[in-house]
Amino acid sequence: MHNQFNLVHLSLHCRGRKNNEMSDGRMKIFVVDDDESVCRALKTLLMTFDFEVITYNSAISFFEAVPNDEPGCLVLDIHMPELDGWAAQKKIFESGSKRPVIFISAEKQETVGDRALKVGAVGFLQKPVNGQTLVDLIHLAAQTTHTNKMIQG
Amino acid sequence: MTKSTIIKYVKAPLLKKETRSNLEEKVRQQTDELKVRSGQLRQGADREKLAEEQIHIRTKAMEAALDGIFIIEAVNQRFPIIYANPAFQKLTGFAKNEVIGQDYFLLYGADADLRVVDEIKHTIDQGQSFHGEMLNFKKNGKKFWSSLRITPIRDTKGSVTHYVGIQTDISLMKQRDLEIEEQREELLHVTRVGKLAEFVSSLAHEISQPLTAILAYTQAAQRLLKDKEPQLQEILQYIINDDLRAAEVIKRLRVLLKKTKPVFESIDTNALINETVTLIMPHINARNKIIKFELDSKIPLIEGDRIQLQQVLLNLISNSLEAMESSPESRELLIRTSLKNTNTIRVEVKDSGCGIPEENMKKLFSHFFTSKPDGLGMGLSISRSIVEAHGGRLEAENNPDRGATLYFTLPVARKENW
Repeated sequence: MHNQFNLVHLSLHCRGRKNNEMSDGRMKIFVVDDDESVCRALKTLLMTFDFEVITYNSAISFFEAVPNDEPGCLVLDIHMPELDGWAAQKKIFESGSKRPVIFISAEKQETVGDRALKVGAVGFLQKPVNGQTLVDLIHLAAQTTHTNKMIQG
Repeated sequence: MTKSTIIKYVKAPLLKKETRSNLEEKVRQQTDELKVRSGQLRQGADREKLAEEQIHIRTKAMEAALDGIFIIEAVNQRFPIIYANPAFQKLTGFAKNEVIGQDYFLLYGADADLRVVDEIKHTIDQGQSFHGEMLNFKKNGKKFWSSLRITPIRDTKGSVTHYVGIQTDISLMKQRDLEIEEQREELLHVTRVGKLAEFVSSLAHEISQPLTAILAYTQAAQRLLKDKEPQLQEILQYIINDDLRAAEVIKRLRVLLKKTKPVFESIDTNALINETVTLIMPHINARNKIIKFELDSKIPLIEGDRIQLQQVLLNLISNSLEAMESSPESRELLIRTSLKNTNTIRVEVKDSGCGIPEENMKKLFSHFFTSKPDGLGMGLSISRSIVEAHGGRLEAENNPDRGATLYFTLPVARKENW
């Protein structure tokens, strides 16, 4: 638990060990949020649920670092500079990747949740995110990925 | 004889040549005098006639003038009116016989500002002219803005005997000035609110990020502690509660300033009213008010956005509560639903409060109009646009007895008929 505050280093380090981690049986979570503090906190929280967590401060750095076929659930912020959450999700969807995506955003509009489901996300959570709710959704995402049944439009 | 007579006749002028010329001169003089005199007489008559005509024209002019013109006695401290033209009668709504002899200042109406009246009296008492504007009331109580000019009339010795006044209805001008002023204020307000919305939006984003982090850290800490350190656990829970409280404030601010796209669904209006009243019940109880219902259970479903319609109802109810705020004896709030016709339902929120002043009626639904010192002036205008977006109308009227009723109509859901 001491290394939880060095997540950037950790995430870089983790990339090379993906196969090992899969063999650990721990599920991999990618957290993408432009706010470093949010990344770090979500990582800390998710690690207490025994997930392997890697964080990125932009969608672009996530795509650069993580191949589309690498397994793992993506926790994706919507409001980000350059490539926002919607665009990132579109990119994933168009690439044919089955990666489950959970949107998180400070904004809550009735339409955001709907839109998230329509574009193929597992769900949408409003910030501040309750840990247990997020974890439940991640587990749901794991199942969804297995059955490959995503809600589309 | 005849001859001599002829001679005489012939001779006579010759004889009295001087006498004759004198006579002729006199006659001529007299004739001239007569001519002058008759000329003078004619002139005098003409002059008199002219003066009469002038007076006639002046009187006619005063009678025809569109401004109210009046003359009041100065010596009598009751200021009785001795003349008032028809325009003055029209302006004040008083008939000629009600005006003549009447104390001029009483014609301003019972609600006229006594401070202004005192100022006018003080000014003219000192022999000065008064020029100003004030709110007057017609005989029927209708108010109007009056431009007043009152000037003393002096006798040959210089003492004031009368006052002459010109009074003009400048309500339209005043109204235009007010409108311009209002538009200016509205513009300022728009800018302010626009800036505020922008500010709140960025503030909300900036604050919810650390709130997200705080919540995640705290929940992580809770999990790491597991069953250890119950006191610390308790503290962590307090942190979580306060974090969520702050998040709730941010959410509400966002809702207030953000337009959301409506989601239409079938709605049972009566049920929606009950739900909404439950939300606001603590407010109603706290203000010691009573809410009554006359809900027509047979009204059909409507189609609309639940949240938005709830916003309208909440707005109308809280407006009614505020209207009844100042008077403890007005306690009753009534919500009534009815079928207006086969295609339309009607929802009324009726209060027994202070009612809506006539001059506010027109502006009631315009953006940023508010009669409350701390109001944003958005409630009713937003409510109206919501109701109109649902194909209905939102209107207000004063009750015959007391208070006001705000009511809206909504079209019945089409699916209902299938």
